[in-house]
Amino acid sequence: MTREGKLKAAYYFFGTVVALLGFATTMMADWQHIYAKGPANTGHAKLTCVECHVESPGTVRQQLQAKAHFWLGMRNTDVEFGHAKVGNQQCDACHSRDQDSHPVHRFLEPRFKEARAELGVQLCVSCHREHIGVRATLPETACSFCHNDLKLKADPIDVPHHVLIEVNNWASCLGCHDYHNNHRRTVQKSVKQAYSPSVIKAYMDGGPSPYGTEKKYPTKEGK
Amino acid sequence: MAQIPNVKHSKSILWAGIFLVVGIYLFAQRPTPLVDSESAGRVIPVEKMFRIVAAENNAARELYTKNIVGYGMKVGLGFSEKWREADVAAGPLPALFLREAATSIQKSRIPLGLFLGSDFPIARSNNFGSAQAERFKMMRASSKPQFFYSPDIKLQVAMFADLAVAPGCVTCHNEHPKSPKVDWKLGDIMGATTWSYPKDKVTLEEMVQIISAYRGGVVDAYEAYLAKAAKFSKPPEVGDRWPEDGYFLPSKDVFVKEFERRASGNTISLILQANSLLKVPD
Repeated sequence: MTREGKLKAAYYFFGTVVALLGFATTMMADWQHIYAKGPANTGHAKLTCVECHVESPGTVRQQLQAKAHFWLGMRNTDVEFGHAKVGNQQCDACHSRDQDSHPVHRFLEPRFKEARAELGVQLCVSCHREHIGVRATLPETACSFCHNDLKLKADPIDVPHHVLIEVNNWASCLGCHDYHNNHRRTVQKSVKQAYSPSVIKAYMDGGPSPYGTEKKYPTKEGK
Repeated sequence: MAQIPNVKHSKSILWAGIFLVVGIYLFAQRPTPLVDSESAGRVIPVEKMFRIVAAENNAARELYTKNIVGYGMKVGLGFSEKWREADVAAGPLPALFLREAATSIQKSRIPLGLFLGSDFPIARSNNFGSAQAERFKMMRASSKPQFFYSPDIKLQVAMFADLAVAPGCVTCHNEHPKSPKVDWKLGDIMGATTWSYPKDKVTLEEMVQIISAYRGGVVDAYEAYLAKAAKFSKPPEVGDRWPEDGYFLPSKDVFVKEFERRASGNTISLILQANSLLKVPD
């Protein structure tokens, strides 16, 4: 074999090894984090891809056929290709609760149109965007979309809610209220006792919970 | 001397070949095509489906409101909006019983939405807004259910009047410290149930699944109440008897049997009426 031929063979060998290694990462569960879009969110590090990314029904050919038929008006319903879009069902499989002060399905009522358009509140993944290594990404002003005209007949706190709203102090909401109300705790009665926005931000980013650790409805894993 | 093939002609043959292969791949019915859920069997318009499931809901709500809450309060059973709290010896108020059922339906994977709202709700979070408020005004004026499409969520929506069916509805709402309206009368339209579903027609099989999911919701809600009642310091006896007989609660089976007795005849009748509208899709 000539020197040029040997070099060519070495290139092919090297290329094959790299391709096989790449393929191996898609097959081995422990290596899945390598090709994930980003770091898993808080508490999700041990999940495998398929726990959320479920395969769509049918073979590739069946799915392509169904899509072609749908585009040509030969069938009424479209199908998903490859993997199904991650929806609330996947989250609910571990985070199912009998009680939730803001259950996502509640926002499918027509009157929440603005909140859906701005925040996508009807989907878990709108606030809990996955693969960015945090717990939640709720914007500080999120509460304003539904609670901007809040006036309580018997307001239980020292600075009434409508006063906090008048000065647009939306950052204070989560200082007292746990969004899903899933922690066993007593809500503060004084604004001075509210957790600071920086503490809440740290919690959202994956830090310790200021609301305590005892959950009303723990996840399937007991967390 | 061999002739050089016409390049243009060869390209046409190549493209024709590619289209043929793609055509066979996409349109030859091998393997079996995926089921098109909207083409399988006969279909019922979604309005009919909403009417059927709303009638089921009326039966369940009336049974719970009159026979459990109404008589229950007279014999000392408590009902509260804070019924989920461990130290509150109470069951769910009728509106919360409906919410329990709605939450259970959501977990059933049947995409049927159910909400209760009003223009004078005790909890402000149940106040109608936007399209629902407009439709509710129309409902008050006409006393007819409202059907419309919500394009942003791609859902068919129906609203049905929620009436003051028992004296307890009126007294509780008129006496509640947070109630924005205190002159309710028996028979008033106190609010509306809002239902949603993603398709404009359902198959008979889907209709059955929807009814089953709704009834499952009612059962789950009642079981949750029984579980809470068992933790009262003085738990009521659970069995064949009802609160109108004393400090008793019907068991799950007894409650469900009575609910089915009240609802099933009407549901079958509505399905048979809808049968005249059934058609096989082209």
